[in-house]
Amino acid sequence: MTWGDTMVRERWERRRQAALQRDMLPSWYATRRRRRTLAAAGLAALAMIWAATAVSWNLAPSDTAMAVSLPLLGLSVVVMLPVVTLLNVATRGSMSLAERLLDERQVAERLRSFTVAHRVMLGILVVLAVVVLSTDTEDVPMASVALGVVGLFETHMLLPVLVAGWRQADPPPGDEEDEDL
Amino acid sequence: MAADKTDGKEHVHNRIAVLRAERGVSRRELATALGVHYQTIGYLERGEYSPSLHLALRIAGFFEVPVEVVFSLAPFPRLGSTS
Repeated sequence: MTWGDTMVRERWERRRQAALQRDMLPSWYATRRRRRTLAAAGLAALAMIWAATAVSWNLAPSDTAMAVSLPLLGLSVVVMLPVVTLLNVATRGSMSLAERLLDERQVAERLRSFTVAHRVMLGILVVLAVVVLSTDTEDVPMASVALGVVGLFETHMLLPVLVAGWRQADPPPGDEEDEDL
Repeated sequence: MAADKTDGKEHVHNRIAVLRAERGVSRRELATALGVHYQTIGYLERGEYSPSLHLALRIAGFFEVPVEVVFSLAPFPRLGSTS
């Protein structure tokens, strides 16, 4: 990587860091209850992809499979985009920024969230393996395989930020202003 | 001295809020001086996060006091108490 590439990347990281320190719709993630609601919505969005996979597995190729899977996928994206954006802001980028831009508490929180997400992912893989091995896989529609891969990707990628949003304690009062001398 | 345990976690008491108020330093100023996120100072003050030895020493260094003045395994006596 050239010096110029490094500079561009560093500048991009710093901009992302600054953007994640600015509140965006703060009332949506101001309390632990609301952050947990967001995390639950994110989990529901992931479940939609898995539901679309199951529908395709059983009904594809058919119009019914298309009529169910595509709206589920679309709804999943519509729910997931704001949820992940808001949880990233709520956690101040602890899950998405480069480690060198985080302090020791944020790094510790990131490691804890990744550990929990890793365990959950392991459970999902075990369930998936049991389901695949216990069913007839001779005529599996490609559509369901593709949806399953998308589901695995998204689950693996987004679980850490959902876990972090679920776990995050309320920030100390008065943190946002400097009136707390 | 036995470590104070809360919810099964070892708890380190600190006087960061008192020292910060006494010196007239805001959370953001302290955070900037230490190179940590400003919310981390709040979590430290509330006892919801125990710092590494390195950060504890830097906090003590910032206030120019020995580390045991800022951190303790036992609760600090309340102001005005005789014990």
